[in-house]
Amino acid sequence: MTVLAEAAPRITTGDRGIARVAGEARGVRYLVGAACILVITLMLSPVVLSFLASLKTPAESSASPPSYLPHSLSLENYAKVYDWQAGLLTYVGNSLGVAAIAIVLCLALSVPTAYGLARFKIPFKEGWFILLLAPLMIPYQALLTPLYLTFSKIGLANSMLGLAIVHTVLQLPFSIYMMRNSFESIPREIEEAAVMDGSTTFQALRNIFLPLVTPGIVTVALFAFINSWNEFLSALIFMNKETSFTVPIMLTGVRAGRLGAVDWGSLQAGVIISILPCILIYLLLQKYYVSGFLSGAVK
Amino acid sequence: MSLPILGRMAIALSMSAAIVLPTAAFAETLSIFARASSSNAAQHMVDLWNTSHDDKIELTTIPDNQMVTKLATSVQAGDVPDLISFDLIFMPDFMRAGFLTDLTDQLSADPNQAKVAQAFRDLATYEGKLYGTGFTPDVSILLYNKDLFRKAGLDPESPPKTLAQLEEYATKIRESDPNAYGYYFSGSCGGCNIFTQAPMMWASGAKLLPASGDDTPMDGTGVREVLQMLQNMWKNGVIPESAEADTGSNFQATFETGIIGMQGSGGFAIASLKTNHPEIDFGIAPLPGVEQGQASSFVGGDVIAIPTGAKHPDIALEFIRWQLSDEAQLEALAKNFILPSRTDLADNDYFKAEPRYITTAQAVGIGQTPWAFHFNDMVNADQSPWLTMLQTAIFDGDIDGAIEGARETMKAIAAQ
Amino acid sequence: MGSALSKNQGFLYILPALLFVAFFVFWPLGQLVYISLTDTSLLGGGKFIGLDNYIRAFEDKTFWRALWFTVRYTVVITPVLMGIGFGLALLTAPNRPLQQLTRATVFLPVVIGLGSSSLLWVWLFDQQVGLFNKFLVDIGVLAAPAVWFTKVDMALIAVTIAITWKVIGFGTILFVAGIQSINHEITEAALIDGANYWQRVWSIILPLSLRIILLTTLISVIGSMLAFDQFYLMTGGGPRGQTFTSVYWIYQNSFVSFKLGYGAALSIILTLIILVFASIQVALSNRSHA
Repeated sequence: MTVLAEAAPRITTGDRGIARVAGEARGVRYLVGAACILVITLMLSPVVLSFLASLKTPAESSASPPSYLPHSLSLENYAKVYDWQAGLLTYVGNSLGVAAIAIVLCLALSVPTAYGLARFKIPFKEGWFILLLAPLMIPYQALLTPLYLTFSKIGLANSMLGLAIVHTVLQLPFSIYMMRNSFESIPREIEEAAVMDGSTTFQALRNIFLPLVTPGIVTVALFAFINSWNEFLSALIFMNKETSFTVPIMLTGVRAGRLGAVDWGSLQAGVIISILPCILIYLLLQKYYVSGFLSGAVK
Repeated sequence: MSLPILGRMAIALSMSAAIVLPTAAFAETLSIFARASSSNAAQHMVDLWNTSHDDKIELTTIPDNQMVTKLATSVQAGDVPDLISFDLIFMPDFMRAGFLTDLTDQLSADPNQAKVAQAFRDLATYEGKLYGTGFTPDVSILLYNKDLFRKAGLDPESPPKTLAQLEEYATKIRESDPNAYGYYFSGSCGGCNIFTQAPMMWASGAKLLPASGDDTPMDGTGVREVLQMLQNMWKNGVIPESAEADTGSNFQATFETGIIGMQGSGGFAIASLKTNHPEIDFGIAPLPGVEQGQASSFVGGDVIAIPTGAKHPDIALEFIRWQLSDEAQLEALAKNFILPSRTDLADNDYFKAEPRYITTAQAVGIGQTPWAFHFNDMVNADQSPWLTMLQTAIFDGDIDGAIEGARETMKAIAAQ
Repeated sequence: MGSALSKNQGFLYILPALLFVAFFVFWPLGQLVYISLTDTSLLGGGKFIGLDNYIRAFEDKTFWRALWFTVRYTVVITPVLMGIGFGLALLTAPNRPLQQLTRATVFLPVVIGLGSSSLLWVWLFDQQVGLFNKFLVDIGVLAAPAVWFTKVDMALIAVTIAITWKVIGFGTILFVAGIQSINHEITEAALIDGANYWQRVWSIILPLSLRIILLTTLISVIGSMLAFDQFYLMTGGGPRGQTFTSVYWIYQNSFVSFKLGYGAALSIILTLIILVFASIQVALSNRSHA
């Protein structure tokens, strides 16, 4: 597993061959810097514009021609979202609960599976692997009705656990793939050392592998969180009470006017509110996150 | 989180409590599904009931375009709410599918039911039986901007009374102000236009949707005339370009920018304009037809019904009857400037404070609602035959082809 | 540990996931296949009709037009996503603060839900209230605010822009990981040989990233073939049904026209088509590695 930090500085220090690159690097570095700033601007501006629009009064939200900056600041849009039906905190609580269970399920299933696929000889291994990845190819909207009817028969409908299971179904193929690559990038020597110590495979998994694949685990958890947090259709079908609904359902409802009319102000406030937790988690886990992809994505 | 085991324990405990204390009053909790766009109105009703009754009702809002799916999956799973408030155009399909409880005996005897707008009574009837009634109505009207009228030299107290006048006024408004437009409609929204353009067609005598495979859709005076009028206005630039792609998201927003002279809209627009855009001096008028004296509206909004398999049908029925009472209609609806279902209450004290609501309430009396199976498929769906007809006639310029095409497709759908 | 034991152990480790997928994916899939052989309605009821739905599907012009549009959309957006994604990865691969910040902002839209993001872009593209349109006019690209969704080509461009903004971060991060894991001894050897940056990209970075590029392309293609929400919210299938995608048409049939049985048949057909696509792509990429 390569260490990120070493790669960059090497190129800019050292002997003549590299110094020649450093010479032309100054002009290039300004260009790269400018390109980065351009990219940052392009990627952030829709979010910034949305944020500015969310602070407009509802009256100004539908002004034509539109203005970039609000003429008067107002938190009305946020108040509307906050107070909607069961209240923002209820929805956030539900979404967080479902996401947490989905993360646990995803990891509980993908980690051992990836361990098995990466480290053991299994008959028809690649066949099983493809079978596990196949759900990616099925339009999940089609599966929802049969799944819901089955869940209601076995009592899993209207429960956070049931919804978390559906979210896990959607995330599992990607999670297994990521973890498998994570495991496969660990050198064999470490495993052989464990064998010589006399550990069982389970102990080896727990004591040796898990700490090493932590970046992969964090990545899987992050993606499971984001996808569960934003998932709309299953949450609506599988829950039958306002107080069990999740944030995406609330957002769809709060901006709905008659006959398809959209309350643009509520939309903007909703977008900003719903991305905040994801951004927070992303920033906190930035460190693990990038190296998670590093070990998980490349074979 | 509801685990079945805990649920069963709770039921067992409460049942044993009932046996031990047979005289104890047992307050129930009922559930009602309402669609998101009318949840505000439903909330007023539910809140008023909850203040005066021991049995409480909990409201759950479902996004509009998922209502049918949600109800259908709930019915199939046997887990239905006690009450549902939904777009009345779905009544025929739901009644035929057996989703709703027959309320004929209990409800038709109720004196308040007889005062409910005819459109709701018709929509809720199937094979002679009654399955629901009006709940939170809305009706379509013509919204117009009095300032733009003045600017164009038109009398702001004289809205158009015929299609020809509408076209004339709209053109004048456009000519008087290059930044303003005479007319607006959401060109990619089937539902918006059955609500706002169709009434002009049936005001003139047309019959639009087929009730069965034998009916001819889009039939009679009014269809061609309305399409021609809209096509003329579009060709002459009287309607903004953005109208063509609007799937309904700007149904309210565009008029609220103050640059539109006239637009078909609903009673709900009044409150929004008064609160958010007090600077717009707007008027309300009925939607006109071809001739003088012809006017109509789409009587829409939500009906209320009890799904089959509801757990508390008796209390649910009580609610339905209660909401037709004077108290509920006036204090929950009229007071909040929502139309009452009962036409005899159109002229109430609350509305007297804002005469534009009286016009709206009167529109209920002259309005219709088409009764058809697969309404959604024919009208509201993306790329429905209704919408395709409008777009082909108005934007592509082919009125005959448009009408023919719609007739063919709708007949095929109705024959299913 | 004998090999027989390790075989069984390995299988035990993958068994829970297999059972999970069998029960929660393949069992409903089986039910879906059964439904596709009936004329089940969303409103209940339906009887066995054999392969009638499939026969109808082959004659369903809208389904094939939707499929064709979906393929067209996939063919347009995939190179955009891969090309820009890889370019951004090259730009932000070094671990300096500016590049890390750029990487973070590129990834930011990924965390927004697809529904909210699509509506955000509907708002931005709007002719009357849209700021993106206003911006294009302000910088002189457009003469007047445009209506984006009344012509198929413009609509396709608009959706491509919106989706590219939303998902580019995913591919970029994967590619960055790939680039950063290239053994720096190889890079140094090339530098000593006098290779300039673009030569390094062409001879070293690209070939060694091939596997990750192919994998990301595969995921992207599958995702695009299943595209629905963005078209539902942004184009409404217009103009005149020309921007229906396969899943959109399935949705219309199942949940709007109530024909669950027919929708199920269309879903099965679509899944098989994607399976074929995916298999071809995997086979080609395996051959390129052989």
